[in-house]
Amino acid sequence: MLYWTYILILVLLTTVVGIELFREKEWKKQMAYVMILIPFILRILQIK
Amino acid sequence: MSIELITLLCMLVAFALAVFLLKLPAGVSLMISAVTGALVAGEGFPVRHLVEGSFGFLDPIMIIATAMIFMKTVEATGALHTISYHMIKSLYRHPTIMMILITYFVMFPGMLTGLSSACILTTGALVVRPLMAMGMPGIAVGSLITMAAVFGEIAPPICIPVMIIGGGVDMPYVGFELPLFLASFPLATITAIIIRFRYLKEFDINEVLAKMEKPVSQKHGIKLFIPIFVVVVLLLLDRIIPQYMPHLGVPLIFLIGTLAAFGTGEKIDFYKQSSLAVKNAMPVMAILVGVGMFIQIMTLTGVRGYLAITALQMPEELKYVAGMIMPFFGSAYAAASVVGVPLVFVFISKNEIIVTSGLALLAALGDTMPPPSLLCAYAGQMVGEKNHFKILRHSLFYIILSMITAFVIIYFADGIGSALTRY
Repeated sequence: MLYWTYILILVLLTTVVGIELFREKEWKKQMAYVMILIPFILRILQIK
Repeated sequence: MSIELITLLCMLVAFALAVFLLKLPAGVSLMISAVTGALVAGEGFPVRHLVEGSFGFLDPIMIIATAMIFMKTVEATGALHTISYHMIKSLYRHPTIMMILITYFVMFPGMLTGLSSACILTTGALVVRPLMAMGMPGIAVGSLITMAAVFGEIAPPICIPVMIIGGGVDMPYVGFELPLFLASFPLATITAIIIRFRYLKEFDINEVLAKMEKPVSQKHGIKLFIPIFVVVVLLLLDRIIPQYMPHLGVPLIFLIGTLAAFGTGEKIDFYKQSSLAVKNAMPVMAILVGVGMFIQIMTLTGVRGYLAITALQMPEELKYVAGMIMPFFGSAYAAASVVGVPLVFVFISKNEIIVTSGLALLAALGDTMPPPSLLCAYAGQMVGEKNHFKILRHSLFYIILSMITAFVIIYFADGIGSALTRY
């Protein structure tokens, strides 16, 4: 139960970070957002 | 020269070039530095290790993100400015106590999020106008919120520099509450008292209150403080009665607190607050991903082992000098990951929890130092001081005081450790 709750929290954070990534105009900051998204997405997809 | 030393030097040079020449965010620079290290050591482009490393600090990243969302939501309800208004209104007759509580109040977001910048951007911003209206010079106010942010960063329950160091030496984040309390609160109290007696003169309380945002406690009553109460109680119950309380985890506790904020105060736009929170926390979250990659590549290439062995062979008198260079890294997280980790090995014969707490204090001071001088720059913006180095210069006394305290904590680590265990 708690495990899936944390996956849901990650989905929420991934959505917000993802939207901010596409709103961001500066490519340097976009790179930072992409870095943050890597572990989030892999954990949500249960790959890692 | 050994290949490990060459790799380490190349990693540090790549990091410095990426930060200062290419002006890339520190997190991205750490990733570039990690890739450079792997290439120099003949490991090729280490995709698997970079991904593995990016998971190193997933828990602290989630804590930071959810804690920032919580802080932004509580700020939007009006609870924070209501607290600061009533604190000043009820304590202005006792200026010393008022200053100490203002300092703790500024520290509060840092205690929960582990982010020093969160202190200046939320509670720090709330106390600047009233303190300046009390007649305190802008530089002194800037210095106070800068130092409070440093102490908030290392104050328990959440201390990211300790988590970074612990991640590097495989030490769990357990048993740090009292040592971190000792490393932060006495210094914060002394700083507040010194600044109070140096700068706070007679002031007109009505003039001060007029310049503050009006409280919303009459409109919303006691329920305004429910989210803060919920988070504090859940965090405490988790520690006090773990046998009865399911371990919810800090990120979930912050999200429960965020949900509890709805309907307790002013109207909240959840998406707007989450978006602001992620924007503010993004640089630090990226740094943590980058630090994870950096440490992973250091391990892969043997640099970590090389550092540990070199550190163990260091002469006694050099050990403390090595510790004292930590603040000059210009970033708490960079200092904690690059120097903090080997320094725990250096002081391996002492109580490692107390040593790590002292090192965290030294690392946290890095956020005030150039080249970025992040905290001084934020504080400068808040108090309208264009040259933020004036704030740094003004804070030097408190920085040196903190460094001496950290030295004492590390030197007497065993004594402090056994005293804390006894009580």
